[in-house]
Order: sequence, then structure tokens, then C-alpha cells
Amino acid sequence: MRRPVLVRRDEALRGGQPLAFAIGLAAALFIGVLLLLGAGHDPATVYQRMFEASLGNPDAWSVTLNRAVPLGLAGLAVAIAGSMGLWNIGAEGQILAGAMMAAWVARVGDGWPGPIIIVAMLAAGAVGGGLLAAGPALARSSIGVNEIITTLMLNEVALRLVQWLIHGPWKDPDSFNFPLAPMLPDQARLPVLFGRAHAGVILAGLVIAVFGLAVSRSVWGYELRVAGSSEATARYAGISLSRKIFTVLVLSGAVAGFAGAIELSGTADRITETISNGFGFAGIIVAALALMRPGGVAAVALLFGAVQIGGQSIQTLGVSSSVSTILQAFILFGAIGAGVFSQYRIRLVPGRRSVLEESVG
Amino acid sequence: MIDSAPTATATVPAVALMGIWKRFPGVVANAGTHLTVSTGTIHAVLGENGAGKSTLMNVLAGVYRPDEGEVRVHGRPCRFRNPADALDAGIGMVHQEFRLVPSFTVAENVVLGAAPPLLRRTAFEAEVASTAARFGLAIEPDRLVWQLSMGERQRVEILKALWRDARILILDEPTAVLTPAEADELGGVLRRMADDGRSVIFISHKLHEVTDFCDEATVLRGGETVAASLTVADTDSAQLAGLMVGASPAVTERPPPRDPDAPLLEVSGLSALGDRGNKALRAADITVRSGEIVGVAGVAGNGQRELAEVIVGFRPATAGSVVIDGTDLTGATPRQRFRAGLGYVPEDRLGVGLAPRLSVVDNAVLRVYSDYRRGPFLAADRARAYCQDLVKRFAVRTGALTDPVAGLSGGNLQRLLVGRELDHHPRVVVAAQPTRGLDVQGVKAIQDLLVAERNAGAAVLMISEDLDELLMLADRLLVMQGGRISAEFDPVTSSRQDIGVAMVGHRSDAEGRL
Amino acid sequence: MSEASLVGLFAATVSFGALLYLAALGELFSEKVGILNLGVEGMMAVGAVTGFMAAMETGNPWVALVVAIVAGALVAMVHGLFTVVLGAEQVVSGLSLTILGIGLAAYLGKGYVGRPPGAELVPVDWGPLSEIRWLGPVLFRQSPIVYLAVLVGVASWFVLNRTRVGLALRAAGESASTTDVAGHSVVALRLSGVAIGGGLAGASGAYLTLSVTPQWAEGLTAGRGWIAVALVIFGAWRPGRVAVGALLFGGTLALKTRLQTFGVEFSPILLSMLPYLLTIGVLVVISIRVRNRPSPAPAALGTAYRREER
Repeated sequence: MRRPVLVRRDEALRGGQPLAFAIGLAAALFIGVLLLLGAGHDPATVYQRMFEASLGNPDAWSVTLNRAVPLGLAGLAVAIAGSMGLWNIGAEGQILAGAMMAAWVARVGDGWPGPIIIVAMLAAGAVGGGLLAAGPALARSSIGVNEIITTLMLNEVALRLVQWLIHGPWKDPDSFNFPLAPMLPDQARLPVLFGRAHAGVILAGLVIAVFGLAVSRSVWGYELRVAGSSEATARYAGISLSRKIFTVLVLSGAVAGFAGAIELSGTADRITETISNGFGFAGIIVAALALMRPGGVAAVALLFGAVQIGGQSIQTLGVSSSVSTILQAFILFGAIGAGVFSQYRIRLVPGRRSVLEESVG
Repeated sequence: MIDSAPTATATVPAVALMGIWKRFPGVVANAGTHLTVSTGTIHAVLGENGAGKSTLMNVLAGVYRPDEGEVRVHGRPCRFRNPADALDAGIGMVHQEFRLVPSFTVAENVVLGAAPPLLRRTAFEAEVASTAARFGLAIEPDRLVWQLSMGERQRVEILKALWRDARILILDEPTAVLTPAEADELGGVLRRMADDGRSVIFISHKLHEVTDFCDEATVLRGGETVAASLTVADTDSAQLAGLMVGASPAVTERPPPRDPDAPLLEVSGLSALGDRGNKALRAADITVRSGEIVGVAGVAGNGQRELAEVIVGFRPATAGSVVIDGTDLTGATPRQRFRAGLGYVPEDRLGVGLAPRLSVVDNAVLRVYSDYRRGPFLAADRARAYCQDLVKRFAVRTGALTDPVAGLSGGNLQRLLVGRELDHHPRVVVAAQPTRGLDVQGVKAIQDLLVAERNAGAAVLMISEDLDELLMLADRLLVMQGGRISAEFDPVTSSRQDIGVAMVGHRSDAEGRL
Repeated sequence: MSEASLVGLFAATVSFGALLYLAALGELFSEKVGILNLGVEGMMAVGAVTGFMAAMETGNPWVALVVAIVAGALVAMVHGLFTVVLGAEQVVSGLSLTILGIGLAAYLGKGYVGRPPGAELVPVDWGPLSEIRWLGPVLFRQSPIVYLAVLVGVASWFVLNRTRVGLALRAAGESASTTDVAGHSVVALRLSGVAIGGGLAGASGAYLTLSVTPQWAEGLTAGRGWIAVALVIFGAWRPGRVAVGALLFGGTLALKTRLQTFGVEFSPILLSMLPYLLTIGVLVVISIRVRNRPSPAPAALGTAYRREER
């Protein structure tokens, strides 16, 4: 009797991760057809509208690019940590922290000229995110506290901080009982590039490119990758691990905070508790699908953004937002599954639960 | 399978392995090996590393399936598909690496997989305790495994087998992790089991244990049985050692001897603890001079790994000093030692020496990457050029240089690693198992590299489990046993038998007698 | 600060505590077998909506509860398939599960938003016990699910520590290879743990829509899934301690809306940060103590097991 097992491939499937993502996407869209039919919609119309609204014309592109900005930056944040084998699950909170710091700067700097406010806001955003990540970073680098949980918990803390600010000290006096922060002054908004795309697109692209270069070409990035490969090899090469862990996690938080500042200044017009909008968690998935490489993050973020924007757009066709959410989940699982198969293949093995033989050492 | 009750006649052996062949890619582990174990005896299986002992036992325990040959348990032919089948046939194996759950109690570990549906703690702990007592195993069932010493953990493993009523117990190098006192205790336990009508198979290198505990012995060499079921009482350590290492003339080629000059590596009184807090290295004194290869022979697990790691700076020394070319580097980091002229070829190619997921280029500059700075960047072009040159000079067969290094074959990995270390002409080279797992060409290539470095004036410390290799290449031969440098030999004139005896050791650890 | 309001606070504490406890117990089982499931929020949402729907359609709240449990377990099996069978990264799969669960719940609950409940699990009347001063309203006038939660807690402890299957489940989360060699199916054990996790999370969600706030709306679960994950750590993976933590965290939830009535000027929002900060604190303490003894976390938590790989 033979049973299937997963065995690691000797060399990764040709086409690798992008192929896996494409297969996952296709599989999900296929299942999505069934889902849509079941809900009484015409799949062709729906998919067509999704495409048009996200990638069909320059205006659509502008919206998609806007969406790709926080996704890409959050993905970059997670990927930076991920290339050292660390998990930053706190991007959601770090985005909020960054937005908060940026909003504070906007309040304090009311009256400053535009460019100065914006630069200050963006810098503050990075600081905010980095600060939130500093605690988990220190805990991990010095005591070895698992960063998955510490960063995860601080998401909730940051959320409540924002809520408190909006309900309390930052509540707009003109907002008639419903707690709202005041709108940002006009000069604190990022300028528009084309359509509805704001300058954050360029900034995000730059940041991703810089980090992509840094991780793959710089000495710092080299040390990062060695440290991520194995602790013993890092020592062999003379690299100090605990310092690296700290700086990487703080940097990761700073990038996410930066995303928060951009989102505040570019897309949102005031700080709200939903400004992070799931981007932090989506960033984790983006980074995982991009195999923790900054290079792939941009592409995956763009695609993900298109899927999300497309998903939003079909609501006008009467398709509920939940359907697009489910579709997104299918795509994610499809990509996850395909990712496994790009590294492992199925082999039929004889026998009942026998320990497979390995070559003698 | 077969029923596990012992048969009445004493003439039917408990275990009979006949003509076992087992091949793996690139190596034949068992070439028609035979083994016959009588019921109620303690039977030793002796041999050097690579002689095929563990493989043969894994066949018996159902871990491996033999390519050819027959397995008979208590007279009945058996074909095991997996370890569970062997267990059903009454065969239990205690491996060198224990399979225990550290956070569970002893009793929980023993009953895992063979427990009653409802676990009343006091009840099953009492049962486990009584089984232990029956065989003289001193162990408390409610203790947590992570707190136990290696000897105690081994008792848990044995208890596991006894709990499942194993009639045949296989122990793979059981005393490697024991103190001499614990080893004696183990001997007592095994004797009680044998008296109970069970059969014990004892895989070992340690001759004094064989002569102390075992009734019969079978010697394997090169995958074959060279002596079967010898009565231990009728033989002695020397004869057994000779059977193990063989009497073949080893040296074929010999590099011309260089006259060694000043000492480049001086290790004095070096001691260190192993991973489990045991005294792995005891007051080692080694001197290696320029233009000399000093070989360190010995059975694995006698402190060689720790010796290499301490010299290189991966493991702290608890006593003693390491002096390289006149400079005391005892407290220095690995990087500092590298800069001082110490090259290291580690046992773990992938995982210490090379970063598996990084590219060939990235690995090529691993030790010297700060020399390739260009501002904040790594000068990729220079690094690549260096790598190309390195790869060419050391004949490393690779795919694209940007591919992860994990895709290279063992031989090429080692060429890359050795090449990288030797390229800077270190004054001292520490090479641990440099040719392990390589094919004939790979072995020759690495050996040539090391000899070339030695001829250029380097001091080479070569630790190897391959005695033939050391006899061929080394100018002086040291033997490590029980964490100490126990003997020194002249490779040209000494007899393999003498060396073999020194390698497998006597009860000299504590008392210093031979 | 009146007696009535204090009693109300404690009663709410027990109620919220039960809500959190069920979900946390589920996650505990999942993590005990070594699988981290960050999709608790999604499974709770699915349980909430399916429970509500079933109550609507059948009018029987107990049937509704069972449906919710099954639904939660099924959804969890998606995560199980990817992480246990395929060995995919657990963090990513769990987060995707959250998205799936929330979307699925919203989709299924479309026609049920704002509608009055078809059936409820009303607080049990224990007769004279319910009349006892103080204790009566707090302990003896709770929804039957609260008592169920207590039962499940006790049962969990019993199963994990006093049965053969519990031993095997724990072993699967500590050392998969040892469990494999001992003759158990690691895949079956781990999938079971994940399924239990989903079922209990579903029950927790159903508690919301059948007792606590008997109606369905999107976003009902409001971040409580993360509290469940935190609770497991806070309680060091032990059902008894998790119960204590559940009461503690439940208390902060209950206190949130009641601070004003107690005349306390402290912001309830800031107070609700407490559970998360406490969890971080516990984790730091655990990590410091790990220097001398093994961590209470299941040793194989988060890693995939592939037998053929060394």
C-alpha cells in the first residue's frame, strides 16, 4: 500500500514564487466563480468590473496605486524583519502609532508651511512606529521574548490609544457628539500626482527600492541575511546577533509607522481608528507571498491592491463586500498552497507509517 | 508478525540475520552481513565508524528494509515494514539520540503510545516503578525528563522497551553518554534482563565493556562480518581491536616530510565542557609546528568536536590556553582568530561553515566581507570576481553563482569551504572531518589542498574518524579518548593494532590505568 | 457605588469571562498540539452567525449551539489542512483564516442583520440558589453556556492530564517525532486539536448571539479573538490558570462600561489596554524564567512536522 508524502524538492520549481502566486490566483478565481453563481451574480460581469475598476484605466490605476502604498510599505516592514527570520505582527499597531505621531505634528505645527509639515509628519510617523516596536525589539534581542505575541498585543494597545485620543483630547469640538478628530489642514496633505494617486506612491516606491537595494547589496543587508540564515554561521562570520535583532525590529516598525503617516496625509483626511484598515495584517501576507524579499513586495502589493480595489468596486453591482473579502481569502489560501508546492512535491511511499529511510550519515 | 514468547529450545537463536545487504546512494552499508544472537545472552556488535553496525541494527529494528537477506526472530522469518512491526515482534531499540519529551515525567514518557485509556497518575506511576525495580533500573517515575542526566534518560528509554515487553533489546553505543559508574550499573541491568530470558544486543566500541559485560561478540568491518559470535571469555581486547581495525597495510602514498620549524599552534591544558555540561575536553596539550600535519584520531564523541570548537573560539575554555603564532588568543572571538591567521574547516559544512540559503558569492566572502566594502555597499562586482576565481582554482562545480549554496553537492560544498579558508594562507588550519561523506575524487582533492598548505608552511591540525587517511597524511598522530589526548604515535612505524587499542580505550578514564 | 452595581459588575465579569474562556480553551487545544491559530476572530464570527441563523430557522437554541460548534470546527479545518497536512506557515494561514471567517460570517449573515433573535439561551433559574445575596445573581443566574464553559474547562483539564488521548495530544505539541515513533498519528492528533479549537471558538461566538447580545451584526466579535490568544499565554497553557485570566480580562471588559457608575474618572478605553499589557508582562516573566527551566509553551508550537525531513 502506498501513501503520498511531501518531500522537499531538490531545486525549487521553475518560475518559483510568482508562478505559485499566479496559480493560486487562478484557482481562487475559479472557486470564486462558483461562489458568485451561488450568490446569484454573473461571474463574467463581476470579474470584468473588478478588472476595470482596478487596472482598467489611469484613474483606476491611481486608486490601486494608492491602495498599494500602505500594503507595500507594511509588506516591506514585515519583509525586513522576515529576512532575518523575525515576525513583526505589529504592523497594524505601528501604522496607527505612526499616524498618531504624524497627526500630533500636524496639530502642533498648525501654521507651518506645507512642505515642512509634511516632512515633519513623515519623519514623526517613522519615529512613532519605531517607538512602538522598540519594546518588543528589546525584549527579543536581550531576553529572547517571542516577538510574535508582543507585537501582536501592542496592536490592540495602539488601537485603544487612538480611540482614547479621538474620544478625548483630540476630539473635534465641532463634531456634534460623534467623536471625530479634526480634519487635517490642507497644507498637510500630500500633493496629488495624477488621477487620485498621491505623492505617497513615489515615496513608497523609493523606500521599497532603497530597502531592496540595501538588503541585497549593502554590507548591512549582507549581515542581515547571514544572521537570518543561521546563528552559528553568523558567529562564524563575526556578526553580533542581538544588536542586529534590535535594529531590524525597530526599523521594521519605523517603516510601518511611515506607512501610517503617508496614509494619514495622502488618503485619509483625519486620523480615525480604522486608518490602519487591516493593512498591517495584509502586509504580513504580502511579505510571506513575496518570500520576505523587498523586491517582490512591490509586485505583490500591487496585485493585492488591485484585488482589494476590485473587490470594493463590485459592491455597486450589488455584490456584497463580504463576497470580495471571501474571494481575497481564497486567493490568499490559493497562494499559500501553491507556495508549498513550489518547494515540495508529492511522492508515493510504500508501507504503512514507516519511517522513510535516509542515507547513512 | 510472530508471537513474542521465547521458544523452549535453547538452540533456536533469538535473532538470526543472514546475508543482509543494505545500500544507500554512494555507499554500501551492509554487504552480506551475518549475526546470530542466542537467547538470554548479551551479545556485542563491534566495529569502527562506518563498519555497518548501526545500519544492521536499524534493519533489525524495522527502521530500514534490507535490500537482500533474511531476518529471523526466534526462528521465524520476519519482514518488518516499520518500527511498530518490530516492536510487535518484541524488538526494542534504544538509539543514541533519545526520543523523549523533555517536559513530561518519566512515567508519561514510558507509557506514551502504550497507555491505558484512563491515566490514574498514582496507578501507572506505581506500575512503571515496579517494572523499573524488577530490572534494577534506578529511576523515579514522577521526575521530569529535562531534569535528568543522560544516564537517567537512558534508563527511561530502556524502561520504554521493557514496558512493551521487549524480548530483544538493542542498545546503540549506550555508554557513550555514561560515566564509568553508570556504565557499570547498566551492565548490571542488562545482566538481569539476560537472566530473565531476554536477549541484549550491545553495539559498542569500548572493548573493556565488551569484555566486562558481554557473553558473545560479533565484529564487523567494512560492512561485512569478520568474526561471528566469539565467546568473549575466550578472547581479549587486543585480539578484538585487531579484528576491528584490520591489519592491512595502510600507507600507499606519503607526502615527503617537511622539517617542521617553530610551533604555530600551542594548546596547553585546554579543558572545556560539552553541551550537556559534561567534561568533554580534559587538559589537552597539543603542539603543531609550521609545515606539519598533526592528525587527531579517535572514535566520535571523545571530545574531538569540542577540541576544534575551543581552538577556534566557538566554545569557551574552562581552563588552559590557545596560542597561535606566539599570541595568546584564548579569549578571542572567532573573527579575531581568523584575522590572526587561523583557518577553520568545521564538521558542519552547511549550517556553520556555509549559510545554506545564501548564494555562492555571499558564502565565498563570508569571512572577509568587510574587505569588500564600497561605502555602505558590498562591492558586488569584486566579490563576484573573487568568487569566480575561487571557484575556478578550487574546481568547485556550481550552477549560477547567485544560486543558493545548498544546491551544491557535498564534494563541491567542501571544496568551496576549504578553498575559502585556505585561500588566505592561514598560519594554522584546524580541519574537522574534512573529507567526510565525499567521493573518491573529492577526498583526494581536499587532502591535496591540505597537504599543499602544509608544504607552504602552515600548521595543520586534522581531526578525522578515518584512520587510514590520517596514517597517510599525518606527520604525527594523536589519539583522543575520553576527552584526553591519550597517546601519540608515529604514523609510519606504529601498528594499527596499537592505535586501535588506544582509540577504543580502556577503563582508564577515572583511574588513569591502562 | 451601590451593591446592585457591584453585583452587576461581577455578574458581567463572569459572563464575559465565560465568553473569553471558551475561545481561549479552543486556542489552548490547538496550541497544545503545536498549531498556532491566529484565526480565532474568524472562527468566532462564523460561530456567532451560524448560531444565530440556526436559532432563527429552528427556534431551538441548543441545536443552534451545536450548529455553531460544527461550523467553527469546519472553518478551522481549512487552517488545519494548510498547516498540518501541507505544513504551510501557521502565522500566514491563521491570518488568512481570520479574513475568511469574517468575510464568510458577513456573507452568511446578510439577511439576518438587526433581526430579533429566533431563540435565546436565557439565564438559568436555579430556584433558591439564584436568590442568595451576592452570589445568587453572580453565579446562579447566568446563561447555560457559562456553566458549559466551566464544564468544558474541567473536562479539558481532565482530558489533557488524565487520559491517554490527552497524553498523545500534548506529546504531539511537544515533540512530534517522538509521538510519531511511539505509534500515534501526528496528523490526526493535530487536526483534532485544531478542530476542537474551531468548535470552541464557534461556541464562544454563539454565546454572543444567543445570550450576550442576541442579535447579529458585522464586527460583533470586536477583537476578542486576540484576547483569546493572549489568554492562553497568560495562563501558561493551563486550563485552570486560563480561567483565572479569563475572569481578570472579563473583568476589564465589564468594567469598561461601568467606570462611570462607580464614579471613577479613568478612561475606560485606556483600561481596556490592560489585558494586552499584562500578557506582555507575563511573557517577559516567562522568558526570564526560561533560563533555568523549559518554557511552558508547547515545544513544537508553530513548527510544521514533516517526517521525511531531518
